[in-house]
Amino acid sequence: MTSELVEKLKSGLKGNITVISDDGVNDVVVLSDKKLIKSAAELIKGTHDILFMLTIVDRNPNFELNYLFSNYRNKNIIILRVNITQDDYKIDTVSKVFPSADWEEREAYDLFGIEFKGHPDLRRILLPEDWPGHPLRKDFEVTDDVRNWTGLDLKF
Amino acid sequence: MFSYVYGVLSRFFSAPADLIVTLIVMLLVPLTLVAIIPVIIGWVDRKYGARIQSRWGPTYVGPFGILQNVADVIKLIGKRVITTNVDRLSYSFVPIALTAASFLIVVLIPWGAPGLYILDIPYNLLFIYVLMAVSPLLILLAGWSENNKYSIIGGFRGATQIATYELTLIITILSVAMLSGSYNISDIVASQKHLWYVVYLPITFLMFVVAGYAVIERDPFDIPEATQELLAGWKIEYSGLRYGMFLLSDYIKMFALSMLTVYLFFGGWNGPLLPAFAWFWIKTIIAMMILLTPRWVYPRLRIDQLVKFGWNWMLPLSILNLLVVGAVLLV
Amino acid sequence: MENRKGVILNIGPVHPATHGVLRLIADLEGDTIENIKVDIGFLHRGKEKLAEMRYFSNYYPIVDKLDYVSALQMEILFGSVVEKAAGITLPPRAVYIRMIMAEIQRIMSHLVFIGSFGMDVGNYTGFIWAFREREELMTIVESVSGGRLAPMYICNGGTFYDLPENFNQALTPVLDDIEKKINKDYRALFNDNNIFVMRTKGVGVINKSTVIENGITGPNMRAAGIKRDLRRDEPYLAYESMDFEIPTEESGDSYSRFIIRIKEIIESIKIIRQALKNIPTGPYKTSVPWLLKIPEKQTFVRQEVSKGEMAMYMVTNGGLTPYRLKIRSPTFFSLKMLEKILKGSKIADIVAVVASLDPVMGEVDR
Repeated sequence: MTSELVEKLKSGLKGNITVISDDGVNDVVVLSDKKLIKSAAELIKGTHDILFMLTIVDRNPNFELNYLFSNYRNKNIIILRVNITQDDYKIDTVSKVFPSADWEEREAYDLFGIEFKGHPDLRRILLPEDWPGHPLRKDFEVTDDVRNWTGLDLKF
Repeated sequence: MFSYVYGVLSRFFSAPADLIVTLIVMLLVPLTLVAIIPVIIGWVDRKYGARIQSRWGPTYVGPFGILQNVADVIKLIGKRVITTNVDRLSYSFVPIALTAASFLIVVLIPWGAPGLYILDIPYNLLFIYVLMAVSPLLILLAGWSENNKYSIIGGFRGATQIATYELTLIITILSVAMLSGSYNISDIVASQKHLWYVVYLPITFLMFVVAGYAVIERDPFDIPEATQELLAGWKIEYSGLRYGMFLLSDYIKMFALSMLTVYLFFGGWNGPLLPAFAWFWIKTIIAMMILLTPRWVYPRLRIDQLVKFGWNWMLPLSILNLLVVGAVLLV
Repeated sequence: MENRKGVILNIGPVHPATHGVLRLIADLEGDTIENIKVDIGFLHRGKEKLAEMRYFSNYYPIVDKLDYVSALQMEILFGSVVEKAAGITLPPRAVYIRMIMAEIQRIMSHLVFIGSFGMDVGNYTGFIWAFREREELMTIVESVSGGRLAPMYICNGGTFYDLPENFNQALTPVLDDIEKKINKDYRALFNDNNIFVMRTKGVGVINKSTVIENGITGPNMRAAGIKRDLRRDEPYLAYESMDFEIPTEESGDSYSRFIIRIKEIIESIKIIRQALKNIPTGPYKTSVPWLLKIPEKQTFVRQEVSKGEMAMYMVTNGGLTPYRLKIRSPTFFSLKMLEKILKGSKIADIVAVVASLDPVMGEVDR
């Protein structure tokens, strides 16, 4: 059973997607190109209300972004999977389409160093502004910069 | 100089036996009272509140924890005062001024029997009102002197709140004064010999309690020092003995309010069978327990709600009430 | 910025009313808020990173401290993720034990909410009362698990211990007591208290569209009139066979958020009573190796915890530890809203609204 949404995505994105599972409840869709994320989000907007969570997996050196969309009417979710490669850790923001993505993207920027283009307020959210590095990356190491970090240089 | 003081004093004391004895009495008795009242009321307040909250309250210091407040004051005296960038003069001046005001309340208020005064002046009710309501300026000064954002917000809140409710308070007091024809507490009590004023002026009584509550800044009207929002409002930088002085003056004002309630509306020391002294204290203790309750039951109001209530309802109502009392008296 | 007349007030991170270490930067004009910014992250302990270094069985003590007022629900959530990924089926008794414990924890968490909400609007008695009732449940949790705040009770494949012998006799009077007090004492102290209603009604309104826009879930969402509860819509554990209501309110203000929690406590008591009646006998856990290896897969589980829809997304790669564990915190989404709903209100409202959202910073900052 292929859900309507996956069909819609297929036609809307001209087939640039791979469908991993589509039982209508837990659809997992892989986008072939990160540039498609915005148009995919716009297609999803009708059927799903919120970006439920944004999980980033560090497949060193690439990143795998799992956008998990959910809605308030039923238990259907859809997972959009996008890979971004090491040449450019940048991707378009979906926070214009889904306002709930605002802080999730800031968190991703904070902990993984992925830049969301067009995000209205892309600052670190959990860590201090001057924290060295992005700790959830697999290659993050506790360097002297981290060890000697005091937070005293921070301007409030 | 001395003779002048003696002359002034001899005007107030019917039998000026010995100047030194008089001075000692005038200084030591109020000082003792100022020291003892907060200890007792503080203990009652804490025990009472604790029982409402299913706790035991203080138990360790003294029998039933009655000396807990003494221990607290000793602790406060021993504390070092740490301040940064305060305006030292006004910072130190405010607690002293507030304590002096409550000291004077103790001096001026009658103590539960006809003629049992430390100092008797004809307009003592008006004086006590002034002393209870002197604080807006002092609070604003304290809030400013501490050089802290929370304290200045608290100071402005305090000034706004007290300035709003002072008017209602004085007008309700005026109604009582008009009815009895005197500003002297003894005369007011004497004129209630047959019927308490609470029967004539029930609305005035309610307004007096609410306005009095707002003026002495007790919960639920402790908006200027709102612990959850402004931490301690205008008291935020005070510690040690200076903070202790605030506690002291708060409790004395609380006590004075319950005494005034009894004097103005519940016939003071009038009552059958029992001696006047006993009647007064029974009434005062009941009034005090009732006045202590709202703190443990009600949440805090918001400043705009309180001020709106004050200007829109309390003040017009009290003026109307005054006019009605005046009209009735004329007729 | 130079020509402003007002002051910038920094509320928190250390402040009695911010429920831990939330920081709010308020731009004030007198007592009115012109603008407010929310700053979080003061309790960030890198729990997602820590997950990558712990065995699947060793991560439980750490999830305990996520939302420390409903620690058991955090444990149950992580347990469910691991069990779904490893394909472990729970024995029916373990399912019921977990459900009972989750509901006890929900009541405890809502009692903390009631207490701290009362405290934050200036009512100390509410705080002490709520904690008095919570203490009774704490004792139950202690007798079951040995821990109070961080019980460490759930393990892979069930629970560490069976319920104690006289569990039923101990729990029933406590539930009766709480129900009676909620209906009588709390009603007098909160619902029928004019000043409390004045302070909360119409304050911090979150309407339906704002909820949907921001991804708010849980009681805060139900207060705005959206009838959704994962226990009903996506049943896990044994909620399918339980009979309970999903309370909703229409107005979406602080008062309705409070009422929702009061009603949910009653519903939770209902669930626990039914579960105690129907609890099956048998083993309370299946044997699961301590060092678990989970093949390469991505597992997503969400559950209705006391704060809303909490979810975990676990990526495994065949090793002994998760490759990546993402935790979705419900309050993380609702806190963002403060910037919008607090504009134009008074300082005192900050406290009331923040408390009404029931944030626990351990879970927000992770």
